[in-house]
Amino acid sequence: MTKLISIFKPHWRWGLGLLALLAIIGGFAYGNQAHAESKRIKVVFWHEMKGPGQKQIDAYVKAFNKKQSKYEVVAEFEGGYNGVIQKIMNTHGTAASPALFQSMDISTSQMYHSGFTTPVQKFVDRDHYDLDQLVPGARAIYSRNGKLLSMPFNSSQTALYYNKAVLKKYGITPPPVDPTYSDITRVAKQIHDKSHGQVKGMTMEAYSWLFEQLVANAGVPLANHNNGHTGDATKVDFTSPAAIKAMQWVKENIDYGDFINFGSGGNASANEAASFLSGHLGIFMQSSAKTGQLYKVLKNNLGVTYFPRPDGKKANGIAVGGASLWISNDKPAAVQNGAWEFSKFLVNAKNQATWQAKTGYLAVNKHAKDEPLLKQLFKKSPVLEVSGNQMLRTTPNDTNSGIFIDGLVPARTSIQNAMQQIFAGQDIYKSLKAAENSYNKVLESNNRANGRG
Amino acid sequence: MINSFPSVKRRRQTNQAPGPKEEVRANVKNFELQKNDKYYAWLFLGPSFLVLGIFVFYPMLRTLYLSLFLTDSFGRPTVFVGLQNYLNLLTSKVYMASIQATGVYVIGVTAFTIICGLLLAAVANQKIRGIEFFRTIFTATMGVSVSVSAIFWLFMFNPSIGVLNQIALFLHLPTVNWLTNPHWAMVSVITTSVWMHLGFTFLIFFGALQSVPKTLYDAADVSGASSRYQFFHITLPMISPTFFFVAVITMISSFKSFGLIDLMTAGGPTNATNLLVYRIYKDAFVDGNYAVASTESIVLAIIIAIITFIQFKLLAKRVNY
Repeated sequence: MTKLISIFKPHWRWGLGLLALLAIIGGFAYGNQAHAESKRIKVVFWHEMKGPGQKQIDAYVKAFNKKQSKYEVVAEFEGGYNGVIQKIMNTHGTAASPALFQSMDISTSQMYHSGFTTPVQKFVDRDHYDLDQLVPGARAIYSRNGKLLSMPFNSSQTALYYNKAVLKKYGITPPPVDPTYSDITRVAKQIHDKSHGQVKGMTMEAYSWLFEQLVANAGVPLANHNNGHTGDATKVDFTSPAAIKAMQWVKENIDYGDFINFGSGGNASANEAASFLSGHLGIFMQSSAKTGQLYKVLKNNLGVTYFPRPDGKKANGIAVGGASLWISNDKPAAVQNGAWEFSKFLVNAKNQATWQAKTGYLAVNKHAKDEPLLKQLFKKSPVLEVSGNQMLRTTPNDTNSGIFIDGLVPARTSIQNAMQQIFAGQDIYKSLKAAENSYNKVLESNNRANGRG
Repeated sequence: MINSFPSVKRRRQTNQAPGPKEEVRANVKNFELQKNDKYYAWLFLGPSFLVLGIFVFYPMLRTLYLSLFLTDSFGRPTVFVGLQNYLNLLTSKVYMASIQATGVYVIGVTAFTIICGLLLAAVANQKIRGIEFFRTIFTATMGVSVSVSAIFWLFMFNPSIGVLNQIALFLHLPTVNWLTNPHWAMVSVITTSVWMHLGFTFLIFFGALQSVPKTLYDAADVSGASSRYQFFHITLPMISPTFFFVAVITMISSFKSFGLIDLMTAGGPTNATNLLVYRIYKDAFVDGNYAVASTESIVLAIIIAIITFIQFKLLAKRVNY
């Protein structure tokens, strides 16, 4: 050991000199940077987009910073949706908090109640910003009492995918674009029968979002006070006839043997996609954001329909999922203005068109589909347009605009448990009732802790 | 029974001889604290007390505090509920199922890891040509991270295109929903976990086997003891401290299993693999329910304290020699 030290001994003065030099250079560089930035107002933007989304956001930030010289937007990737809520809660009011941040659909109520944000409506009214250019369904879930809370951004809906090649191979008529439960059951059963069980008919991930949308499409609320839109929800209802019917539909396919269970979570969606792409599975339901990825492999053999509806009922439409952009109210007005300017920039028709083309999220700007980029894309591959059309044709109401409750994540957990139980053959009503009871308890103590309800 | 071997007897005797411990004790008696020394004691202990206080004791007490409240959407304690959280938790069927699942998992992983590790080590300890190659292979899982092995096993467990079900189909056996059937999911995660622990366990056992004095086996051979007798009456007793060590380490590590569960099942299906540690994470950082998560943390701490106590009381006695 002493030998080792002695080797360095003659050089320590040099090392110290080098360190000092580095410090001086670093200091200069930092000083210069700070000087250059001080001219512009810095707007820190937190987002949770990975892959193509992140790439695209970086491109928009660059374009925005080039286009004007008043603001300097700095985009920072913050990991998952869940984590960022905690980070906002912990940094609000400090220098570390962002001016603008992206937060997921089901955190809307929590963000609203936090009082940490400036409702976007304030800027809309001030600037007479034309809200009509934004898709009504996307606005509805981020609104309270008709006032827009945050700027809708990356949006998706649930969609149903089928493999046209499989259907062609066995001579099966494809489902209509607005299918009922029995339309899907027919196709799924035929795939199973005609392939002699070699190809599974359908699957559905034990994913609460899918369950919620089946119920929404039937036009039935899951929580009282109109899904929490007209008052604080105090009770949930997971056992409505519509919910039971949706699960009976799945059960029918399980009992027939054409249904394959992939479980829940990221693995389930990866496995079902792998199975679907390799022709081992005919039909599955997932986020519309998957369309691009599936299209890359299947090309014109990819079939997409709207989300299924109960037999003999008109589709009520489903909620827009994804995330929106919130403006923190702990920053000076100038910074908040910068955040507002940048959010407007992100949702203009041109940027929303590139956003949909590059990421697969649905454009929230109605006029995006008239942009040459999307026009060409849809002409070449009409299947990419289906989910966007589903979103555009929906008239928002309280049952298809999400559930306005703080802490929906545990509700999703308990619904997913119920779904897994049902998929494993347990009683539908009992499983859903257990989920309902368990979440009602959570809801009650949440309301108590938050002084609500 | 071990006493029939002279060398073991000798070892026992040397262990019982007055060791260095007594000497240290004698020195401490002669050493008296002076007032000046107290100042130095605080000076030296102070920083570590400070660090422990901030990073260990404060969070512990805070957890205890939070467990007595309801927390709002921002994790702030708002309504004092006393022991209600504990009562809710301990009467919850789901939580009891979690405790049971954790028990099954920990015992399963520990038992199978020890059995398989010992078997592999015993095989690798033989003098066979080319055994060095297998010794390397057996330790290979040490170099594989949790995420990689989880993904690798996920591929094998895939219900439609996974290799396990493909083999089953080929042999005309019924296919299994490895990760979506509640019973099989537990089997699957235990298998993966055992596989991951195996490399390290093998290495430790192999080292222990190599250090058993050869003279013992020579003596046994002379007395005509069968190789099975030799294994149970020489090998096992001689490696018992290693055995204890491996049992404790594997148990602790499987109690802490998080990455594997998160990547493979995320606690599902129907909570079948929702182990206590994973549950705490989910309640706190996914569901945002800090009060419940704090309560679970305290209960888990108590459970682990009890198990550690039992382990040292019971297993330490069984170290034979």
